[in-house]
Amino acid sequence: MIWLFLPVLIALSALAFFGGREIASRRAGASAIKAHSRPSQHGYYALIWVGVPALVVLLAAAIFSGPIEQSVMQAGAPDSIAQLEPFRRDAFFNDARLVSAGQQPHQIWPQALAEQLTQEARRYGDLSRLLSLGCIVGALVAATLGGLFVYTRISPTLRARNRVEGWIGGVLFTCSVVAVLTTLGIVFSLLWDSLRFFQSVPIAEFLFGTQWSPQIAIRADQVGSTGAFGAVPLFAGTFLIMLIAMLVAAPIGLFSAIYLSEYASRTSRAVFKPILEILAGVPTVVYGFFAALTVGPAFREAFNGLGALMVGGPLDGLGQYLMLVQNQMALVAGAVMGIMLIPFVSSLSDDIINAVPQSLRDGSYAMGATKSETVKRVLLPAALPGIAGALLLAMSRAIGETMIVTMAAGLAANLTLNPLDTVTTVTVQIVTLLTGDQEFDSPKTLAAFGLGLTLFLVTLLLNIVAQRIVQKYREQYD
Amino acid sequence: MKLPFFHNPAKASDGREGGASDNPGLPLMGGQIVPGVTDTTRPDETRDESFLTPEPEADARGAPAAQRVPAVTAASGTAGPTKIMARDVSVFYGEKQALYDVSLDIPDKTVTALIGPSGCGKSTFLRTMNRMNDTIQGCRVTGRIEMDGNDINTKAIDPVLLRAQVGMVFQKPNPFPKTIYENVAYGPKIHGLTTNKTELDGVVEASLKRAGLWEEVADRLHSAGTGLSGGQQQRLVIARAIAVNPEVILMDEPCSALDPIATAKIEELIDELRERYCIVIVTHSMAQAARVSQRTAFFHMGRLVETGNTEEIFTNPRERRTLDYITGRFG
Ligand SMILES: Nc1ncnc2c1ncn2[C@@H]1O[C@H](COP(=O)(O)OP(=O)(O)O)[C@@H](O)[C@H]1O
Ligand SMILES: [Mg+2]
Repeated sequence: MIWLFLPVLIALSALAFFGGREIASRRAGASAIKAHSRPSQHGYYALIWVGVPALVVLLAAAIFSGPIEQSVMQAGAPDSIAQLEPFRRDAFFNDARLVSAGQQPHQIWPQALAEQLTQEARRYGDLSRLLSLGCIVGALVAATLGGLFVYTRISPTLRARNRVEGWIGGVLFTCSVVAVLTTLGIVFSLLWDSLRFFQSVPIAEFLFGTQWSPQIAIRADQVGSTGAFGAVPLFAGTFLIMLIAMLVAAPIGLFSAIYLSEYASRTSRAVFKPILEILAGVPTVVYGFFAALTVGPAFREAFNGLGALMVGGPLDGLGQYLMLVQNQMALVAGAVMGIMLIPFVSSLSDDIINAVPQSLRDGSYAMGATKSETVKRVLLPAALPGIAGALLLAMSRAIGETMIVTMAAGLAANLTLNPLDTVTTVTVQIVTLLTGDQEFDSPKTLAAFGLGLTLFLVTLLLNIVAQRIVQKYREQYD
Repeated sequence: MKLPFFHNPAKASDGREGGASDNPGLPLMGGQIVPGVTDTTRPDETRDESFLTPEPEADARGAPAAQRVPAVTAASGTAGPTKIMARDVSVFYGEKQALYDVSLDIPDKTVTALIGPSGCGKSTFLRTMNRMNDTIQGCRVTGRIEMDGNDINTKAIDPVLLRAQVGMVFQKPNPFPKTIYENVAYGPKIHGLTTNKTELDGVVEASLKRAGLWEEVADRLHSAGTGLSGGQQQRLVIARAIAVNPEVILMDEPCSALDPIATAKIEELIDELRERYCIVIVTHSMAQAARVSQRTAFFHMGRLVETGNTEEIFTNPRERRTLDYITGRFG
């Protein structure tokens, strides 16, 4: 409702701008002193002083008018309504608001209450009109006061240019503070809930226990004694899948980067580079169902077929095992995640190899080295720290990746390093712990925060180390 | 691959065209420069710029102009037969032609300076001699370049092996991010020139000695080559080039990133290396060309304008443009 006032506010601000500019140029013309700032800078100064206070009033009204309405309505409600149970009372006021806005109530109320409803709706309408009016008047007063203030201030000696600069700096600062504060808030809530989790499950058990079955621990008194919160199988599963992903992504990504930066002609580079960038933009959920619906069954059939060939032969045991391999295995999730990471590794490494100065290549070629000798003996050693940093970043992404493993790795918390087994990861467990109907402070739910915190710390560490390395490397060639 | 030694006295009719036999005597050593002269001219390099500032009054080819020309202090005369012979060499970068029909003879055991305003194609011409232009996409070279009488642009010549025979030193010192030892050992290792560690050690030591760096780095061969000073790095790069036993050393403004003292050292080194190698140096400093080179070739707008003995070019150029350039009227 009050937002309808916004166009008026914009018009007022524009008026302030033009007025301020006009007044400034007049006063400067009348004065003997040379004006410090140009008239339009005074205009912006006036705009800020008229627009910002009014906007603050509007924002405050938008935030607080709801609660104020609520409490005034409840305070003035007749006894018959005040005696209702809380949830029915809320429903009643909700309907009153609908009726006052000219809509149908959600419920059919009994005769007595229905009469009250029309009455309350009228009261509601009056109240909200009053509030809106107050808010608009408040905004107008704020704008006027600001305008008067500016009117007295504008003079050739006013440093409007610097003041406007200060306001702009302030707005930019506020935005960055918001970004930092929300991140800090998330970290602290993570810390806080993890602490609550570690009150019911000892840290040592969480970090070193080898049994993970949070579903058992439904009753609080079972927690700890059952040993259901040992996260080692999850760490092992995460590590295994990360390892497989890196085995796929590191060589392919690195070699394709070498091809792109050293071997490719300008035309093939112009084709490959954008394709890799498109691949980098494929949503992970697409990789996820690719893994679950295409790669998984294909691998299973391949292994089952191989197993069938072996059964009865000297490798009978292995054959029996291979025939039982399922769709969901670490190998599939890891391989598909590796494919997802190829563009990431390749474009980072490409940047890093390109940052090696051309003079080193020239030096090596001028010594009569071939391309591969130059790559192996000069470029890779020179780029190694940067490439190591890129691989660490890729690892951190592999560890934090959720969608692919949720769809392709499975849920069974097996403590194994066998890539054909079903494993589960930290991220998958967080998803399963928090989806569905959950009691918010059961240890089972809180366990997700413990896992989240661990994940956060590990990836944070990896990222910091990687950034450091890459940055050091960049400085080296600046 | 060793190209057979080429000697063609018939070509050497006129010294100004890069003859081979106009100075049949022994190579002239650095020692033949009068020490006093060297000492007084060396400080000149700090004053190159002021030296080249045109003086307004003199514009004809008279005595005033001659005074502004750097005094040639390098040992004069070519010492060896023609090592590299370029005929009608043109270079294109894509559609754009950078070099037009350059024909030039470069004698062995002599320093040949390529001078000319920037962008005139000096580096481009230098790169045709070790086929470094092959590494630039879209670059095309036409014409004939012979080294010891063999065309280096035929299919039979492997550019990789050619480059082992023709060393190159760049404007900015570019030691590899490896140890000093590994930098010098780079060429011998990739070309398999040595069979064991002792031999390799010997090559590294000899190369560093020849590049005049041994004394300064003997006790830290295994520390980073990039940790040396700019002048030391440039000498390290020269040692790296020498280590594969080249016949020709190309230098593309080797001193333009160095301070005057380091420059003086490199120039001294170039003068010593002249005994063994055919040296081609690109320089934007007229004074440097006068100090180190026996032959000078002046390039302008992608064409070779004039070539001859440095002394003649600097005292009695035939082309008006050459005079204008060496007296600092443009460039
Ligand atoms: N890699 C390249 N690609 C395209 N044009 C080039 C390249 N290198 C040099 N050129 C052009 O060729 C001309 C000669 O350049 P260069 O040989 O570097 O001149 P110099 O060394 O005398 O300053 C210049 O016009 C330059 O712009
Ligand atoms: Mg150049």
